[in-house]
Amino acid sequence: MERNPMRRQLAIMRQSLFDQGHVDEQFVQLEELQDDANPNFVEEVVTLYYRDSARIILNIEQALERKPFDFRKLDAYMHQFKGSSSSIGAKKVKAESTLFREYCKSGNGEGCMRSFQQLKKEYATLRKKLGTYFQLARQAGPVETASRPK
Amino acid sequence: MFNLRKSMALTLPLGEASDQDKWDNGGLERKRQLLIEIVLRSRLTALMVDGDTTCWVLKQELLRSYGVQTLGVDNGRDAIDLIASDAAFNLIIIEKILPVLNGLEVTRQICEIGMRCKMLAVTAYSGESERQAFLATSVDVFIEKPLDLEHLVPILRELDRQ
Repeated sequence: MERNPMRRQLAIMRQSLFDQGHVDEQFVQLEELQDDANPNFVEEVVTLYYRDSARIILNIEQALERKPFDFRKLDAYMHQFKGSSSSIGAKKVKAESTLFREYCKSGNGEGCMRSFQQLKKEYATLRKKLGTYFQLARQAGPVETASRPK
Repeated sequence: MFNLRKSMALTLPLGEASDQDKWDNGGLERKRQLLIEIVLRSRLTALMVDGDTTCWVLKQELLRSYGVQTLGVDNGRDAIDLIASDAAFNLIIIEKILPVLNGLEVTRQICEIGMRCKMLAVTAYSGESERQAFLATSVDVFIEKPLDLEHLVPILRELDRQ
């Protein structure tokens, strides 16, 4: 049977998200929650994540402009950001969040700023990659899914 | 946008799917190969206390996929007020960083009220001291975010047996 080329491209794109370390197994759990009743669940949750986390990013940026750093506040912001990032399986973003928090705990302001710059890069990269992925997924159309017994 | 699943039957991943299985036929073959079902006999209820919308939505959908009726609040004060008004739940899932009252204080006050149910702290991990602080407040289980099936399913089974 000839495979749908768009579906094949989608599968390759999806695999690269994992292979390049952008997402982890939590992303699979999101996919598990997607079904006929929620056909766009993953995209909707990711959209929600980027909408809400933008506020936290802004809070951290503003906090990093104030000297001396309030490391307790910075850590609290990043705690929340890390939680929502891990919930969508954003692996690299989560890793940078962890590093940022370690710098907060050790009172390393330079480390915080460096880590935050890297975090924003990973955050933006993931957003771009997932945006392309979801666009292709929409073009490829819905996937046949298993029917759960009632 | 987020719909309640109709079925109470649910599935658990047993192992890794091949890359080919993941998208061919919409993952149908993967599900056949890997998944088992568990069915909850009881209608369980859960209160979620989390100020982060993304986390809240995901936990809600995960619990609802197992037939658990969920209610959510986004701050500690509302959680306490709800419990104090005699609302009963089988399960409370609580985050540490919350508006108004933090998760640790909320769990302490819930215990003081005398509410008896399974309590899970599900939070972005800050270190062993955070885990110990939560466990000292009578939280039953401490889970690093995200809430995963490996932790959740045994808890639901246990609650279902009670």
